[in-house]
Amino acid sequence: MKASTRWLAEHSIAIVSPLVLLGAWEWASATGALREAFFPRPSTIAVHLGQLAADGTLWGHLATTLIRVAWAFALAAVLGVGIGLAMGLWRRLREGLDPVFAVIYPIPSILFLPLVGFLVPPGEIALVVTTAVTSFFLIAFTTTHGVRQIDRLVVEAALHYGARGWRLFTAVLLPGSLPFIFTGLRLGLGFALIVVVAVEIVSSSRGLGALLWLSWQILKVEDMYAAFFVIALVGAVLYYGLAALQARLLPWVQDVADS
Amino acid sequence: MPTATPKVFVNEVSVTFESHGRSVLALDRISLQADAGEFLCIVGPSGSGKSTLLRVLAGLLRQSAGEVRIQADRPGSPLTAMVFQEHALLPWRTVRDNVTFGLENRGVGRAERAARAREMLAMVGLTRFAGHYPHQLSGGMKQRVGMARALANDPEVLLMDEPLAALDAQTRTIMQEELLRIWGTLGKTVVYVTHSLEEALPLGDRVVLLTARPGRVSRVYPVELGRPRRLEVRASPAYGALLETIWAQLREEVVRAMAADRDPDQTGA
Repeated sequence: MKASTRWLAEHSIAIVSPLVLLGAWEWASATGALREAFFPRPSTIAVHLGQLAADGTLWGHLATTLIRVAWAFALAAVLGVGIGLAMGLWRRLREGLDPVFAVIYPIPSILFLPLVGFLVPPGEIALVVTTAVTSFFLIAFTTTHGVRQIDRLVVEAALHYGARGWRLFTAVLLPGSLPFIFTGLRLGLGFALIVVVAVEIVSSSRGLGALLWLSWQILKVEDMYAAFFVIALVGAVLYYGLAALQARLLPWVQDVADS
Repeated sequence: MPTATPKVFVNEVSVTFESHGRSVLALDRISLQADAGEFLCIVGPSGSGKSTLLRVLAGLLRQSAGEVRIQADRPGSPLTAMVFQEHALLPWRTVRDNVTFGLENRGVGRAERAARAREMLAMVGLTRFAGHYPHQLSGGMKQRVGMARALANDPEVLLMDEPLAALDAQTRTIMQEELLRIWGTLGKTVVYVTHSLEEALPLGDRVVLLTARPGRVSRVYPVELGRPRRLEVRASPAYGALLETIWAQLREEVVRAMAADRDPDQTGA
């Protein structure tokens, strides 16, 4: 009880600020300051969201998007962490891949969609691979940096106390880079959602992005906003979820910045 | 003074570094020895290669020439264990797991590791903090963990690289007392590097003074202040006299080191 009260007190601004925003929106739409045809009241949107949930439409789209994000993220995470660690450990590999990555990374990943379609079966797989591209780079970059930023003195001490080879990797190099790997995973997961929704908007009839875009095209503005809110909510849940997971799995990271 | 087999035997050791395509001589034919159970302090201006010498003793760096021998008396014990200047604890391990890190790497069983950790943490007064992470400890406490980690390995020789340099003056004094007490209990051979005579004199049996770069042995001073020694020894006239003698020599080296830093080629700018 006490802990939850304190949590509320500490995070009151984070809770109050979105509510204030919604309240202002509600008021602006109700008084006509915003055109209700394009900015329906949040309360109206909530009613439509309830209908979409009740008739099952929402859950189908939500599940589709989540499954796509999960696959793309899994692909990007496995390859990104693996290659990122290898690049952090071996200078030759890093020097070889760095320029390649630097060239590919800034290209908006949605542009890969048609190209990827020539390499793998278009449709679901092409969508997942395209999405994985941006997340992969984010995760690989942060992982590489994670290995490189480990305190040399700590590594030297570990060597002095007899850590070698695989043991040096599992007991020192991997845990030392984990905070950065986690940051990369959080960024990568967020971008996976962004890109999945973007790809759904341009090339799919299912998923939250498709729901949003199709609703807009037939001017069901309330449904469009409903999809919009669900996407935002999914993003926030994933972001804070991974943060909570990190705090649980890496208890030693929490106050490192303070010390 | 010299015995049949010194615990630490360093003979004509030189270390050369490659730096920007030039080779720099860091240590120049250093010879010294420490007897079993001796507390040997190595003092010198910064850049005199004190830490380099310690790294050679620790096996972290290979000398370019010369010979290093450490007499092994107990099979299975590591030759050296080092207490690092910036503690160098593994942040992702608890205090307990940091202390047993070396034992784990050598394949010592879980029960023995736990017992050794308890014993060492009790010795440095950190029993209550066994489950804490390094970032939750103060600087002095971290350095105690560093000491416990080294001692848990039961090394033939304990190496200490300016272990108290990063601490505030009061904590440093307390830690010196602790160190004297622990050394008195365990009777380990210690090689202790510091730039500070105020640290070396209360602790050491002998003080080896190194010259400015390249590091050579300038002189070796026996510290005849009696044992068991307490920090109050700093008030004695003998301490003051010795401090003054060594400082006169050290001062010259420090001045020379500073001049060399300003003007590396001694040719004028």
